[in-house]
Amino acid sequence: MQHNQPVLDNISTPTAPSRRRFLHGLSAASMLPVLAACSAPTIGRAPAGRVVVVGGGFGGATAAKYIKRANPAVDVVLIEPNKRFHTCPMSNLVLAGERTMDSISHGYDELQGTYGVRVVHARADDVNPTARTVRLSTGTVLEYDRLLLSPGIDFRWNAIEGYDERASELAPHAWRAGPQTTLLRRQLESIEDGGTFVLSVPPDPFRCPPGPYERASLIAHYFSRHKPRSKVLILDAKDNFSKQGLFQAAWKKLYGDRIEWVGLSKDGRVVRVDAARREVQTEFGTIHKAAVLNVVPPQKAGFIAERAGVTDASGWVPVHANTFESRLQKDIYVVGDATIAAPMPKSGFTANTQAKVAAAAIVASLDGSTPAQALWVNTCYSLAAPDYGVTVAGVFRVENDKIISVPNSGGLSSANADDSIRRTEAAYAQGWYQAISQDTWGTPRPA
Amino acid sequence: MNLRNLTSLAPRWQPSGLLQTLCGAVALLGATTALAETTPPLSQQQVKLLAATCASCHGTDGGFAGPIPAIAGRPADVLSMQLLNYKHRAPAGTTVMDRIAKGYTDEELRALASHFSSIRK
Repeated sequence: MQHNQPVLDNISTPTAPSRRRFLHGLSAASMLPVLAACSAPTIGRAPAGRVVVVGGGFGGATAAKYIKRANPAVDVVLIEPNKRFHTCPMSNLVLAGERTMDSISHGYDELQGTYGVRVVHARADDVNPTARTVRLSTGTVLEYDRLLLSPGIDFRWNAIEGYDERASELAPHAWRAGPQTTLLRRQLESIEDGGTFVLSVPPDPFRCPPGPYERASLIAHYFSRHKPRSKVLILDAKDNFSKQGLFQAAWKKLYGDRIEWVGLSKDGRVVRVDAARREVQTEFGTIHKAAVLNVVPPQKAGFIAERAGVTDASGWVPVHANTFESRLQKDIYVVGDATIAAPMPKSGFTANTQAKVAAAAIVASLDGSTPAQALWVNTCYSLAAPDYGVTVAGVFRVENDKIISVPNSGGLSSANADDSIRRTEAAYAQGWYQAISQDTWGTPRPA
Repeated sequence: MNLRNLTSLAPRWQPSGLLQTLCGAVALLGATTALAETTPPLSQQQVKLLAATCASCHGTDGGFAGPIPAIAGRPADVLSMQLLNYKHRAPAGTTVMDRIAKGYTDEELRALASHFSSIRK
């Protein structure tokens, strides 16, 4: 029996010769709505199986690439709505006017041309874990042998009274990079000198734990040059935050009293937003008026994870530590911000290393071998100024099906480091971004 | 020789920094050889998965040269000594590699050195 080959609407043609001929023959059949698949995966031309990857960010793009690198015979289809992906890492520099949106965007040419991944620009709308199918916004239904979800986050609209998707058009979150980043940048540029930038920060867990504090830093940097009388007010639903000592020392040194941080016990938790008036109310009733209001709302796993039945009551996704296979649905693997993977933070870096572990586990499960022992690394670079970098690093392994931070490894940049170390870490932050963009999307070095 | 200038170059992997790294690593060799003989060798799949963690900063196959240096195709003994040195006695001026190297066993670091040295630049 000939293995049935997939039929996809709007498929982008890979340039690898072996694939080009194969896809050519598909045109007549491409009107069929259903992507028939590996019902008999051990028979036919592609016995290695099909993996559908949902999400083309740090997790999904890396997983697609590393599955193909491990076994090019596996049929890999990547589902991602956008032709260009904008990263949250480095988007705070865009807000500060130190980078362009183009410089934080990435495409899928390497995945298609070099690795033969079939990239479909559509939204994944539903998953049927029993039939093992994914339904796309185009109507196409894809069958899979293994599904990998890297859906990122969704926002809990109205968890803060008055803050819904419409309100985010007036008071942006900019916690998914793209139009929201551009909107917030425009607002910052047009702020009157002396106006206050107010940033509302959610409780843990959320995407990029040090991100809000880097954002506050870089906006203070922008103000110090362009709006010298403007200030930054951080209203926080927590009493402690990532790299707190390093950030607060940097703020004092670089910005004096330009940045004010109000923690939970000092009435920092925002409970109500009036986006039209750019006002927020905190727990004990204080009203703060902003010139630019940035609300980072509470979060949960991206919605396709819910549709696939892999989230638990927390709204996040429990996974088996050594493989990142869902604890709730067999043959569905989940990586990145959507997962419960503490002590690993929700970062692009960990999504990239989680994807490699999941890719190895998927390839092993398809050929019946035992996956290697998982190990992950994270280094979160944060910029307190464009030339002032600090990091938190970690190395993680599995112990009794739990993820642990390897004792005596990782940790923060030294509190006593001199300016040259801060400059070096800022340069490495840019270097890290270039390298991980190459590793994930094949983005070449900037000219 | 000005030692302060020398060590400040170490994290950028300049040749002069290397010298200093090599000197520090010599003392480690005796202590780590015995352990290597008693541990079962790491599988090729295992080394590949370990090496994939390095790519997040050094590019795919360790081949991306930017502000962070490429590691592909460098001599195994040099890489090995640098990694062991980062773990056990990091040179002054090290930023993050000491914190990361401490998360790997000496055997893993040597296997990684051998793996990356065998990749063509």
